[in-house]
Amino acid sequence: MASKTAAKDIITLRGSAAIVSEFFGYAANSILYNRAVYPEESFARVKKYGLPMLLTKDEGVKSFISNLNAQLSEWLEAGKLQRVVLVIMSMNTGEVLERWNFSIETDNEVVEKGVSREKSDKEIMREIQAIMRQIASSITYLPCLDEQCVFDVLAYTDTDVAVPFTWMESSDAKLIANPQMVKLHSFDTKIHKVNTLVSYKNDEEESDDEE
Amino acid sequence: MSGCSFLDLRALVLSRQPLPTPVKPLLSVKTEPRMILRTPAPKRARPIEPAPIIESPPVGSDHRQLAIYEDPSSAGPARREPSQQSEHMLCTYQCRQMVKADFLDALSNAEKQVQDYQSKLAELNDNFGKADEERKTFREKLSYVEQELAAAKGREQALHDQLLKEVNDSHERLKKELELSAKLQAKLENEQNLRKKAESTAAAAEDKAKELEAKLGHISKSIEKEKKRFNNELAQLNRDSKFSITKITVDLEKMEFRAKSSEQEVELLRKQQEDLQSKFSECLHQKSELEKRLTSLSFEDDSPKESDILVKHLQEELRNYESEVREARKLKSAHDSIELMKEKLLEEKSRRERVELQLPKLQEYELKINKLEDELSAWKLMIQDIPGVSCCDDVPLRISALQKEVIDNLKKLGEVNAHLKQMQVVLDKTQLDKQKTETEAALAKEKADRLEAEVKRMNLMLSAVSEERNMLKIAIEDFKSKNEQAGGHASSSALQELESSLLKREPYIKELEGDLFAQKDINTRQQDEIKSLHDRLNSEARKVKSLERESDRLRSEIFLLESKLGHGDFSAANTKVLRMVNTLAVGNDAKQTIEALQSELQRTKEKLQALEEYKSQSGNSGKLVDSYMSGKVAQLKEQIATLEKREERYKTVFADRISVFRRACCELFGYKIVMDERQRPNGIPVTRFTLQSIYAMNDDEKLEFEYESGNTNIVENGYTSTSEISQQVDIFVRKMNSIPAFTANLTVESFNRRTLS
Repeated sequence: MASKTAAKDIITLRGSAAIVSEFFGYAANSILYNRAVYPEESFARVKKYGLPMLLTKDEGVKSFISNLNAQLSEWLEAGKLQRVVLVIMSMNTGEVLERWNFSIETDNEVVEKGVSREKSDKEIMREIQAIMRQIASSITYLPCLDEQCVFDVLAYTDTDVAVPFTWMESSDAKLIANPQMVKLHSFDTKIHKVNTLVSYKNDEEESDDEE
Repeated sequence: MSGCSFLDLRALVLSRQPLPTPVKPLLSVKTEPRMILRTPAPKRARPIEPAPIIESPPVGSDHRQLAIYEDPSSAGPARREPSQQSEHMLCTYQCRQMVKADFLDALSNAEKQVQDYQSKLAELNDNFGKADEERKTFREKLSYVEQELAAAKGREQALHDQLLKEVNDSHERLKKELELSAKLQAKLENEQNLRKKAESTAAAAEDKAKELEAKLGHISKSIEKEKKRFNNELAQLNRDSKFSITKITVDLEKMEFRAKSSEQEVELLRKQQEDLQSKFSECLHQKSELEKRLTSLSFEDDSPKESDILVKHLQEELRNYESEVREARKLKSAHDSIELMKEKLLEEKSRRERVELQLPKLQEYELKINKLEDELSAWKLMIQDIPGVSCCDDVPLRISALQKEVIDNLKKLGEVNAHLKQMQVVLDKTQLDKQKTETEAALAKEKADRLEAEVKRMNLMLSAVSEERNMLKIAIEDFKSKNEQAGGHASSSALQELESSLLKREPYIKELEGDLFAQKDINTRQQDEIKSLHDRLNSEARKVKSLERESDRLRSEIFLLESKLGHGDFSAANTKVLRMVNTLAVGNDAKQTIEALQSELQRTKEKLQALEEYKSQSGNSGKLVDSYMSGKVAQLKEQIATLEKREERYKTVFADRISVFRRACCELFGYKIVMDERQRPNGIPVTRFTLQSIYAMNDDEKLEFEYESGNTNIVENGYTSTSEISQQVDIFVRKMNSIPAFTANLTVESFNRRTLS
């Protein structure tokens, strides 16, 4: 936890893991809202990172994301998490339409020795704010999802990680063939660096096929 | 100017004949012999003794010389003959007179010549003075030149030293660069070999992957074709089913019509039956009346025979009626059985027709099945051809393994790229060094060119000085000879001094020439070295260009790899992909399937009701439709049951886990935690946690916290508003902003209270 009693600039491993897992929770909610995976009326407005964020009111989705965040923060504290992917698929065909890729680079020295780093909280919030804005503005270039969609979450971890009860190992990484990729901003807590990238199905292929 | 004047003097000196020898009066001088015979001497045998022959020059010639003719007869007067003596005396007097005149002429000429020579001497003396001055100037010039030579020597030595230093430095740098380039070349070769190997393996893997992909494409195409075929077949089956449904409806209509007709018949039969029953009841009634009458009549016994006969008749009628009723019932049952048989016949006819219609289709299906079996066998053969694959399920695994191999190879390529980047850095450094050496070589060239120009100038100067020296020597020698003839001893010492100084300078000049030659050699060597350096630099530049091209290629490959990494590819050796069990999708799917199944259930129920009504009216007419619909309904019910079981399982598992977690939290932290979801008036959802310590004395000792978007705040209640607790809240929560410290302190205090109490 970022110590509030001492100077605000000290970041510990646990605090960084909490920041990253919280960021993923809000990012997932933002993506689900912006991509209309769930209807608008199922989201509630809250203030976070200096922006009006939307959180789902659906109990199932809420519990899913909270359990997910808990597991992600555990893996982040152990330094075992490499990547988190939020996959949006068609409900009818199961085809993967979008892949929101959050790759994580961990400072192993912090994990091994337990040292802390220094970075201003405001700067981290600013970086996260920029990413949230980019997620919100992604609807301008991402293709429209006309059909009903569902989402799934994949976690790329080290091979020595024990698979929890509510998780299962998957050989299918749910990749998109010949995707279009857009790289978004990244944020860095000096312990964990998160790079965001969205890859989506090339809409030109569909238009070519139709022609 | 001194040179010109000296040359003019020289010209003057050379244009003239060698100075005439001083004229000795009346002395025989053997110079150019010119015989002037006054009188031809008789031809006599000359004596063996050498007689002095004196000749006089012709009149008017510059080369006059006094020649005294001596009669050879005078040398040997004893030989003359006395007969010719008088004539000879006359002749000799005339000759002598003539000779005197000539002699006098010659004297005058000689005097004139002497005067001329004296004037010439004066001129020569003047010239000699000028030559002395020029000599002095030349001496000064020589000294100046010597100083310049010494300075040039010094400069040359300094330049030579600098050049040597620079050449040594450039040699050392070149050696280092050559060593570096050799090392880099070796590294490049190694990495090229590695890259080639990696490329070859990657190409082989890509080829394999392409082949597999092509095969997969073929298989997918064939699967799609089969799907299309199956879809077509399904469409045909649907059409057949529709056709059968229409037939069934037609049959149903027929059955309905028959049912109606049978109903009418049944009504008629019922009416008949009612009539018969009414008749039967009447008969029974009549029978009972008759029996009563019989019983009453039995007492009278007037005409027992008629009543008996009546009774018998009635009984017979009754029996007849009963038999008729039985026959009617039999007829009715037979009619029912006939109708049933008819229906069965119709069903069997319809079945037969359907079977007959589907027989050609069976043949087609058999052909299709044979084709499919052939294709399956072909696929199996193809799968057998694929190495490492034994069945269809192994194909994706094999493809994933090949993809992993490709990714590993690409990783190796990435490592190679990293090495190449390092190489590029080193190459950039060598390029910079090369540029530096080039500039230094250019500077050295310029210096060498300057030195060469200076050397050339020095050579020219030396050649000019040596020419002047030679000319001076010649002039000095001529002057010497003239002075020797004229008896001028004053300038000889100066000339000797000049000569000695010139002789002294000669070794210096030789030394300078030797140094110049050595420097020329050094310069040629340096130029050769510079040429070789240039060649090496050009070759290195070519290598650098080729490396740059390779780096561009590798950069493009790196870009492709990065795009693949961003795409989501991973290496199974380092990474595994975990997926959370998504109950949302399952739940959603289950809900939707349940809704769909429920709607289908309702429709089928309605259909069933309608069919049951028809069935109740017509009997077994809707058996076929019932069986089909019942099968579907059973399947749907099974699906619903499995989904509901799954949901219940998930719920139980979750409930168990939650309860375990809650118990563990309670035992570990000493607080029972109850979680509530509430909503504020502004619509924002808030989670409220109520904590009760296991060491609490009362049930009122509860702590309430509100959790909202990552922030936890304590809620005031009756327990927290007490003085002790409020103090702790102020210290731990508000000042130190640490809720865990507050709760820990509270548990310790409550534990102490409990233990003490």
